[in-house]
Amino acid sequence: MKPATTTATAIYGRPTPAKRIEIGIFWLLRLCTYLVLFCAAFIFWDIGSKGGAVIFRSEAPFINVKFLTESPETLNVFDYQGEKRTLGDRAFREFKASHETEMKGVAVDPYVYSAGGIFPNIAGTVLLVLGSILIALVLGVMSAIYLSEYASDGPFIRFLRLSIINLAGVPSIVFGLFGFGLFVIAFDFGVSLLAGWLTLAFMVLPVIITASEEALKAVPKGYREGSLALGATKFQTIVTNVLPYALPGILTSSVLSIARVAGETAPIMFTAAFVMRDELPWQVQKWTDFIFQGVMALPYHIYVVASKIPQNEYTRDVQYGTAFVFLFTVAAIAMTAVILRQRLRKKYQW
Amino acid sequence: MSATTENRSLGRLPTREALLQKRRGWFFGMSGDQFVKYLFQGNATISIIVLGLITFTIFRDAVGFIPMNHASLAVYRLAGLEYVDIYREQLTTHSTMSRYLASVRAQKLDQLMNKEGLAPAAAMATLAEFDDFANRFADTINEQETLLGSMTDLVTAVKERQTVSEDIMVGKQYLLRAMAGATPERAAELQRAADVLTVEVIDFKAEFQRVLALRPEIAAANTSQVAALKALMAGAPKFADSDLQRRMEKFQGFVQGYCQEVEVTAQKMAAWDQSKPIGWLESFNAFAFGRKWVTASFWQDWYGIIPLLSGSLLIAFLALLIALPLGVAAAVYVNQVARPVEQKIIKPYIEFISAIPSVVLGFFGIAMLGETLRRVSQIPALDWVPGFPMAERLNPTTAACLLALMAIPTIFSLAEDAINNVPRSFKEASFALGATRLQTIIHIIVPAALSGIMAAILLGFGRVIGETMVVLLCAGNRIQTPDLTSGLGVIFQPVHTMTGIIAQEMGEVVRNSIHYRALFMVGVVLFLISLLINWLAQKIVRRYRISIG
Repeated sequence: MKPATTTATAIYGRPTPAKRIEIGIFWLLRLCTYLVLFCAAFIFWDIGSKGGAVIFRSEAPFINVKFLTESPETLNVFDYQGEKRTLGDRAFREFKASHETEMKGVAVDPYVYSAGGIFPNIAGTVLLVLGSILIALVLGVMSAIYLSEYASDGPFIRFLRLSIINLAGVPSIVFGLFGFGLFVIAFDFGVSLLAGWLTLAFMVLPVIITASEEALKAVPKGYREGSLALGATKFQTIVTNVLPYALPGILTSSVLSIARVAGETAPIMFTAAFVMRDELPWQVQKWTDFIFQGVMALPYHIYVVASKIPQNEYTRDVQYGTAFVFLFTVAAIAMTAVILRQRLRKKYQW
Repeated sequence: MSATTENRSLGRLPTREALLQKRRGWFFGMSGDQFVKYLFQGNATISIIVLGLITFTIFRDAVGFIPMNHASLAVYRLAGLEYVDIYREQLTTHSTMSRYLASVRAQKLDQLMNKEGLAPAAAMATLAEFDDFANRFADTINEQETLLGSMTDLVTAVKERQTVSEDIMVGKQYLLRAMAGATPERAAELQRAADVLTVEVIDFKAEFQRVLALRPEIAAANTSQVAALKALMAGAPKFADSDLQRRMEKFQGFVQGYCQEVEVTAQKMAAWDQSKPIGWLESFNAFAFGRKWVTASFWQDWYGIIPLLSGSLLIAFLALLIALPLGVAAAVYVNQVARPVEQKIIKPYIEFISAIPSVVLGFFGIAMLGETLRRVSQIPALDWVPGFPMAERLNPTTAACLLALMAIPTIFSLAEDAINNVPRSFKEASFALGATRLQTIIHIIVPAALSGIMAAILLGFGRVIGETMVVLLCAGNRIQTPDLTSGLGVIFQPVHTMTGIIAQEMGEVVRNSIHYRALFMVGVVLFLISLLINWLAQKIVRRYRISIG
C-alpha cells in the first residue's frame, strides 16, 4: 500500500514542471493586469487626495464653497511685517489701500488664476456640453434611424457607413482644426459658444451614429414584422416596437459621448475657450451675444494652469482643485454609462 | 357629431372607406409617414454633408500651402539666401569644432582639479598653452564671419524689399477689387489710391551681383584660413593622458575634414545657380522631408514635417511598447484565467480608465510623474541606463507612460473581444488532446485571435498618435528631430509632435498666412494617418472572420 501512496503524491501532490510554469505565467499575467489597475488607481488617489483637500473642509458646510462659486483671480504673495501673506486680487487691493504706509516698497509676487474659484469654468463647460450633446443627439439618432430603418442597402449607403466609421477614429485636434477653419473663420462666428457646440457635436456625431445604428440593428426583425403585419405604419412601428428596445444602447452611447465631449480639450482650444473672461455667460445684452461669446471651460483652464504658471505651493491648490472637480465629474458621468450598460444588458436579452 | 366621435374612438380599426380612400397628405401634401421619412432623411443628409465638409475644409485650407511655400522657396533662391546658407554651413562646422575643443579643455580641467588636486588657479595656468591654441584656432574664422555678415545683410535687404513689394501688391489688388461694385466717384478715388502705390519689381540678378562681387575675397579668406589651420595643427598641444590624446587626434582629423569641406563648399557655391527654377516636387519635398520647422524667423521660414512626425512616431512607439504587453496580458488574463468575480470588476474598471480626460493625465504628468521619473533617474545605482540622469522632466518617456495608460483600454477591450470570439470548440478540442491551459492559450487561443489583437494594437496606435493634450503638456515641446544614432538616450530628449504643434501655434497664426496653411497641412497628414490605420484595422478584422468561418 505504501508505495502506491508515494506515487500518488508524486503525481498529484507536487505540481509537475509544466504546471509550475503555467502557474508562474498566470501570475505574471495577473501582475500585468493589476499593475494597470494600480496605475489608474494611483492617479485617482493622487488627484483625489490632493484635490479633495482643496474642495472639502473639515467643518460645515464641508465643501469649499468659495472655490466652486467664485471667478479665478490673481494671487498676491508678499511679506507683511515678517510673515508671508497671500491675498486674492480684490482683497489685496483693499488691503493695500488701507495699509498704504506699511505696504510701501514691499515686493509682491503675483500668480495668475491662483486665487478665487472656478465657477465660470464649470458654467462654461456645462453650457458647452449641453448644447453640443443636444445637437449631436438629434442629428445622430435621426441619422441612425434613417440609415438602419429607411435606407436601402446600396453601395452608396455602404460607402457612407464606412466613412462614418473612419471619421470616428479621426483625432480630436483635427476636428478642432476643422471647427476653426469652418466656423470660426469661414462662417465668421469668432471664438464662440456656437462654434464650440458645432465642433464638439460633429466630433461625437460619428460615434453616436455608429452606436445608435448598432443598437437599432440589434432589435430582432420579428418585432418590426409583427407590428407591420398588424397594420401599423412604419413610423408607428419604429416608435412603439423598435426605439424602446434600442433605447438602452442609444442611452449608453449618448452618456459615454457626454463624457467624451466634457473631457476633450483640443477641439475647444481655438473654437470656444477663453483663458479669462470677466462676465459670466448669462451676463449678456442680447440673446445673440449669448451664442457668439467665448466661454471659460474646465479642461482648458487645467491646460492653462498646468502649463502657463509655475508649479509651487501657491499654485498647487488651484491646479489640483480644478483637476479634481473635472476628473470626478467626468468619471461620474462615465461610471453612470458603465453601470447603465450593465443593468440594461441584463434587462433586455433576446 | 356623434358619428365622428364614434369614428374617432374606433380610430385604431379603420373602416372600409378609410382603407379604400386615397390617403391625403396633411403636411406639404405628404402623408405623415412620408414626412417622417423625409425628416429622418434630412437629418441624415445634414450629418453626411457636415462630415464631408470636414474633409473638404481641412483640405481646402491645406492645399494653398504648396504654392505659397513654393513662392517662399523661390524668393529664398532668387534673393540669394540659399547661396549664403551654403557658406553658413561651413562656418557652423568650424564652430562645432571650437565646441569640441572646449569640451576637451573641460575634461582636462576636470582631471587636473579632481584627480591631481590642483587649485583652480594652478590648473588654469597649466592650461595656458592649450588656451592659446584654442584662441588662435577660434581666430581663424574671423575673416569668414565678417564676410558672412556682409553677405547676410545684402541678401536680407533684398528679401525685405521683396516682402514689402508683395505686401503693396496685395494692397493694390484689394483696392482694385473694391472698385468693381463702387460708385464712379469712389472708384476714381480708389484708382488714385491704387496709382500711388508702386510695386517695385526687383531685379534679383543685378542685386545678386553685389554678393557675387565678394567671391574673390571669400576665396582669399579660404586660402589664408587653410594655411593658418595647417600651421596651427603642426604645433597642436599633446597630452600625456591617452584618452585626451585620442580626442586631440580626432580633432586633428576634424580639421583635415574641414579643409576638404572648404573646397567642396567653394565648388558648391560656384555651381549654385540663381535662376534655376524651383520644381514643384522640390517644394513638396521641402515639406514632406524637410528637417526644419522654423517659423517667424527673420531669415527664412521652414515648414518641414520630419521633426514633428518623428517626434509623434517616437512617442507613439514608446507608448505602444508599454501598452502592448500590458493590454494584451490583461486581455488574456481576464478572458482566460481570471475568476468570474474578477472579470466582473476588472472589465468595467479598465473601460472606465478610458474616460479619464487626457488633459488631467497631462497635468498629472507635469505635477507628479515627470518629477518622479527624474528623481528615479538621478539614483546613482541606475547610472548605467542610457540617458540617465534625465536632463528634462518633460520628455517623450513621460508622455509615453501616460499615453500607454490611454491606449491600454482600447487595446484591452478589442483584444478581449477578439479572444472572446474564438469558438469554444477550439479550446475544448485542445483540452481533449491533453494540452494544459497554458498550452491552449499560447498555441490555440492567441493565434486564433491574433488578427483581432493586431487590429486592437493598430487602433491603440491610432489613439496614441492622435492624442493632443498629453503630448502638448508632457513631451517637452522642443522642435528637433530625435537623433536615433545617439543611442537610447534619445527617449529622454524633449521633442515636439504634430498634434502638439497645431494646438500650440494655431491660436497665434495670422489667418490664411503660409504658417496657418502649414498647420492645416499637418492636420491633413494626421487625418490621412488615422484613415490609414482604420483601414488597415478593418482589413485585418475582415480576414480574421474568414479564418474562423
